[in-house]
Amino acid sequence: MDSAFGQLAVLGSSLVLMCGLTLLWRRGSSAHIAAFAAQSVALAATAALIAVFTGSRELWLVAVAFLGLKGVLMPILLSRMDRRLGGPRELEPYVNTATSLVIGGLLVVLAYIVTRPVLEVSRLPTRSGMPLAMGLIFVSLFVIISRKKALTQVIGFLALENGIALLAMLGTYGIPFIVEMGVFLDALMGFLVMQIVIYRIQETFESIDVEQLNRLSQ
Amino acid sequence: MPSPAGYAVAIAQAALALLLAPGLVGLIRLFKARLQNRRGAPVWQPYLELRKLFAKEVVVSTNASWLFRAAPFVVFTSTVAVAFLVPVLAVPSPFDAVGDLLVVVYLLLLGTFFLALAGLDPGSAFGGMGSSREMTVAALSEPTVALAIFALALGAGSTNLGQIVARTMADPASAVSPGYLLAFGALFVVTLAENGRLPVDNPATHLELTMIHEAMILEYSGRYLALIEWAAWLKVLLFFSLLGNLFVPWGVATALTPASLGWAFATLIAKLAVLGVVLAVFETRVAKLRLFRVPELLAVSFVLAVLAITVSFLVR
Repeated sequence: MDSAFGQLAVLGSSLVLMCGLTLLWRRGSSAHIAAFAAQSVALAATAALIAVFTGSRELWLVAVAFLGLKGVLMPILLSRMDRRLGGPRELEPYVNTATSLVIGGLLVVLAYIVTRPVLEVSRLPTRSGMPLAMGLIFVSLFVIISRKKALTQVIGFLALENGIALLAMLGTYGIPFIVEMGVFLDALMGFLVMQIVIYRIQETFESIDVEQLNRLSQ
Repeated sequence: MPSPAGYAVAIAQAALALLLAPGLVGLIRLFKARLQNRRGAPVWQPYLELRKLFAKEVVVSTNASWLFRAAPFVVFTSTVAVAFLVPVLAVPSPFDAVGDLLVVVYLLLLGTFFLALAGLDPGSAFGGMGSSREMTVAALSEPTVALAIFALALGAGSTNLGQIVARTMADPASAVSPGYLLAFGALFVVTLAENGRLPVDNPATHLELTMIHEAMILEYSGRYLALIEWAAWLKVLLFFSLLGNLFVPWGVATALTPASLGWAFATLIAKLAVLGVVLAVFETRVAKLRLFRVPELLAVSFVLAVLAITVSFLVR
């Protein structure tokens, strides 16, 4: 029973991580948004899985919240933003795609090394998924620093938030619901603030290429 | 000590692979044609093509050396040799002692290498382009084949393909483990690249500036072309049986009884047909990638393979 739970948890976590790596691979904004939506659905499924095996009622609420807000609402908001901004479909990232994929793979290996001490003390059946969640956190941070388009960076931030939520669920079977919701609302507020900032950038520079922020405008 | 019957079955399964290969390609073509609202040629069309090509006269460029004549035989025999090592119908095969997955990878690469040389040999502009592209793709995809199967080999504790199959059958839960799924994804992408299928190369076209496989064999005709085409089709079948039998091993015969061999044959046909449909649907959905974006696709599959190894190494 526990081994099947562990296997499925790792499976869910690797799906979540795969969607994160898709951000490095694809270039179009719509592909990024679709990857984020798929990631959130996978995350919600993992939460539901943990809820089934641990019998936690709060995690069910969390799963539903993930599915509704991150799987449906945020992708809709993101694609609305993408439509309104328009602009160039592809921006050359700081690191090219092939290299960033290899770096992504290395980051996951690094995550395995970093989480090794935790894995040794943990007895949870879900522990094998924790390095993958940590890997997603690293990969999302890499997306944020290596991509130029502000929209992609926002998606990277949201994926980072997904990674943290996944790590919390796998490591502790869900932090208390009230804390979870607090973090969640923080992320939502952050997202809304970033949305406004991006519109401002677009109005000022006629582009959301953040490289232009390096230069002073009169 | 393997019995004579074991050898007979191993030889029979290589012959079966050789005979089924044109049919499989015919099936994929038929599915694709139907998906594109064409009626399509019948499934046995590739057999007729082979018969026609074997009967035709060979035309060889005056600039070509012995290499050009030798390459089709090297390509064909190396691919047939792989057919002896890949678990198609039954495990363990007595030829498991001869070669493991590393031998399979190198034999496949040997064929690719000679095909590339033969593309350069007659000195045509197209052939050289095809060879250079094929080498670019092969250099990126061969390591992924090895890595993806290594991820499975880690679990089985052996690089022997027959033993990997046996071990997966003994432990069915491992077939849904993330390491397996990641390795499957990696191997599927590489199957497309190695066999010149759609996002990498277009198998349906003959005169296009971006072709890879067809550009190398443009100078070939008659029975040489037949051998190369047959080897290429056999390669598709072998990759399909790797995908089908390594990751979903159920049905592969472990005992040499007629009943289990018959069941193995039936499941093999089913697996090949399912993979054929998947490939046809996939090829109809995707557009060909720009050549310079192919390395990105292969990098994806390489990263998948690396992750597969990492996961199966640490979750063991």
